[in-house]
Amino acid sequence: MSDPKAKKSLSDDSCCQDGKSRRLVIASTIGVSAACALFPFAAGLTSILDPVVRNSGSTAKVPWTRVTSVINLPDDGKPAKFEIILAEVKDAWTTYKNVPVGAVYISRKGDEVIAFNLKCPHLGCAVDYRSKTNDYFCPCHNSTFGLDGSVTDANSPSPRGLDTMHTKIEDKFVWIRFQQYRPNIAEKIPLS
Amino acid sequence: MSKFLDWLDNRSGIRGLVKEALYEKVPGGARWRYVWGSCLTFAFFTQVVTGTLLWMSYSPSAQTAWESVYFIQYEIWGGWFLRGVHHYMAQAMIVLLVLHLMQVMIDGAYRAPRELNFWFGIALMGVTLALSLTGYLLPWDQKGFWATAVATNLIAEVPLIGPMLQKIVVGGVEYGHQTITRFFALHAGILPAALIGLVVGHIYLFRKHGIHVKEPRPKKDSYFWPDQILKDGVACLAVLLAVVILTLYFKGAPLGPPADPSNEFPARPEWYFLFLFQLLKYVPAFWGAVIIPIALGLLIFIQPFIGSSRKGHQFNIGFWWCLLAGSAGLTFLAFSEDRENLNHGAAVREAEWQAERVVEIAQEDGIPPTGAVTLLRQDRENRGRRIFAAQCSSCHRYNGHDGRGYLVEDDQSAPELAGFASVDWTTKLLNYDHYISPEYFGGTAFKEGTMAKKVLKKFDAEETKLLPQVALLLSDLAKLPYQEPLSEEKRERLMDVFYDDLACIDCHDIDSEGEGSAPDLTGYGTRKWMIDFINNPEHERFYGKKNDRMPAYGRDKKLSTEEIEIVVDWIRSTPADL
Ligand code: HEM
Ligand code: FES
Repeated sequence: MSDPKAKKSLSDDSCCQDGKSRRLVIASTIGVSAACALFPFAAGLTSILDPVVRNSGSTAKVPWTRVTSVINLPDDGKPAKFEIILAEVKDAWTTYKNVPVGAVYISRKGDEVIAFNLKCPHLGCAVDYRSKTNDYFCPCHNSTFGLDGSVTDANSPSPRGLDTMHTKIEDKFVWIRFQQYRPNIAEKIPLS
Repeated sequence: MSKFLDWLDNRSGIRGLVKEALYEKVPGGARWRYVWGSCLTFAFFTQVVTGTLLWMSYSPSAQTAWESVYFIQYEIWGGWFLRGVHHYMAQAMIVLLVLHLMQVMIDGAYRAPRELNFWFGIALMGVTLALSLTGYLLPWDQKGFWATAVATNLIAEVPLIGPMLQKIVVGGVEYGHQTITRFFALHAGILPAALIGLVVGHIYLFRKHGIHVKEPRPKKDSYFWPDQILKDGVACLAVLLAVVILTLYFKGAPLGPPADPSNEFPARPEWYFLFLFQLLKYVPAFWGAVIIPIALGLLIFIQPFIGSSRKGHQFNIGFWWCLLAGSAGLTFLAFSEDRENLNHGAAVREAEWQAERVVEIAQEDGIPPTGAVTLLRQDRENRGRRIFAAQCSSCHRYNGHDGRGYLVEDDQSAPELAGFASVDWTTKLLNYDHYISPEYFGGTAFKEGTMAKKVLKKFDAEETKLLPQVALLLSDLAKLPYQEPLSEEKRERLMDVFYDDLACIDCHDIDSEGEGSAPDLTGYGTRKWMIDFINNPEHERFYGKKNDRMPAYGRDKKLSTEEIEIVVDWIRSTPADL
């Protein structure tokens, strides 16, 4: 280990070969070692990145889900909370049938229904409807939203209003396309 | 023996190594202020051992993570203790980190020639925090699930690659199997490996430059062994003792109800991250998650150079005190805001109830392959509370709340239903003052009805005295599971009061064919009576046209028959809280 001669030969280009081929040997050694060292990481690179290339579906594929009959909604615009139960949900190797995946607030005025994803567009906590103030409130970082979903308090950290879901009324039932959006940006970009 | 050691030393040089390790000089003598690094090493060692032992029973997947932690906590012999030690030692590590860091800053040990080692220390702090964050998710309970979802949403704040990075960490868009497997690989593989690598470098550099001595030196120089090691050992023992006491006192680490994306829970991180959580109430997430950490990180990075002057050193110390005080202040604010928020308290209590309940069911019926979350979703008691909260609580109350424990902001406009039809409940019902109070019919049209105005109010003192007897009779009809039935004679006697003394029979029927003008009390409060009533209170048997606002849940298909049965069974199952 502490042999002074060994140390010398390492830095001494003139020892056995001319400088050029010596440098080539060193470069090759470094290259070969680096390739060996990096190989296992490279082998796993695609697996790690798999979630990025795997697109779980565009908006077009989001199914219509039957949520509740219209009479369950008071027609004064007061929101009520409903679970969203999807017929099929895939999580890696498991396929679930009829599982709750989230919830929405739905309010109705006459024939018009409006539905909001319960998830706060800030960082994804669940918002509460407050009947005293007739608005929505996020208990995480105190964002407030009006009944139309818009941000009402300037101090709210949420960059956009509550996310409206596509809705339709068919056979006296409310149908919703349940969709999640990217958190904490002003634009509404579907997560997929 | 010594021959063997001679041989071993000859082949390995072990004596030199041990000597090198133990006979490090400690100028100025062993001191208590140097113990923190050793305590941290000990704490990490404990985490590696207890973590690996937990690993022997832990199973990372969406259907097995909570379930295996449940098994560790409630089934494995002493499993709760092992888990408790891992849980509280993780928190002790945070406290020790702060102590170690402050000692290094105050003593000036971060300055030349030890800059490099200071950076190693900061990196170690980051890795330890990352271990704590990833560990919080592993039990896959409500707390960890919701809080970590907020944390991973913050990753998206990183410019350009943020959203991609978030997907890589989460293993997709939604939380699921791949989130747990990835977090577990980080928690038990990558991060501990990084930590070990950094610790080796940290200790090597520490030895290279020797201990930084805080002047003035109190004593003669001594050696690491045994003087300093004794002090270190005693300090480690104190840490260990604190962790054991916490574990015993709290009966191990808490385990919330299983994660359920459809059962919202207010996200809160562990206490040592609360200051960041609170900060996000005041600054945009991009500032909180990117700009401020980078700015602070850069400043911390150059602190060894700032510290080369006296003024700079004082600035550095002041900086850390301010950072600590600021964090403590934010943490305090986070706690006090939550304490004042009644809904937050209710959410925490509901989760505690669910956690107890799911363990009860798991111990009785076992956990199906679909996981414990389905136990709670299907549990009639849990569903009863939720149906009541969603459908009934805008007018009725249950022990004054919405059935799940939340306060209802709307005024109560229909009777309190906890302990419905129990003796206490019917006794109050037949008391005029209670009858017209919001607790019963004060918020309804019946406040001005015949029963209030023409009956209860008009009774003379004699008759009023008899009312509790009718209440007893009425309650007996309900056959509540938690009340003893009356004897046959007693019931006969009370029937006489009902028929003759008070002549209730003029309007209400019991067991007769006649059509009274007021609700039929045959089988009042029984399971069947309640189901029929909720099905359609406008039925002739009940309020008929006089029904105030109560919806016909069954007739109008607002609730399924099963759901009505579930609420009824739940209401009838327990007496009211007093
Ligand atoms: C090689 C090292 C480690 C291994 C193999 C390991 C393994 C584990 C496992 C299997 C769990 C899940 C069990 C449970 O939640 O009860 C867990 C949880 C946890 N770990 Fe570790 N761990 C290691 C190091 C650490 C370190 C260094 C820290 C902290 C500084 C830490 C902090 C945590 C926390 C906070 C939890 C959550 C525990 C709870 O439920 O309260 N772990 N760890
Ligand atoms: S998650 Fe709603 S305010 Fe932050």
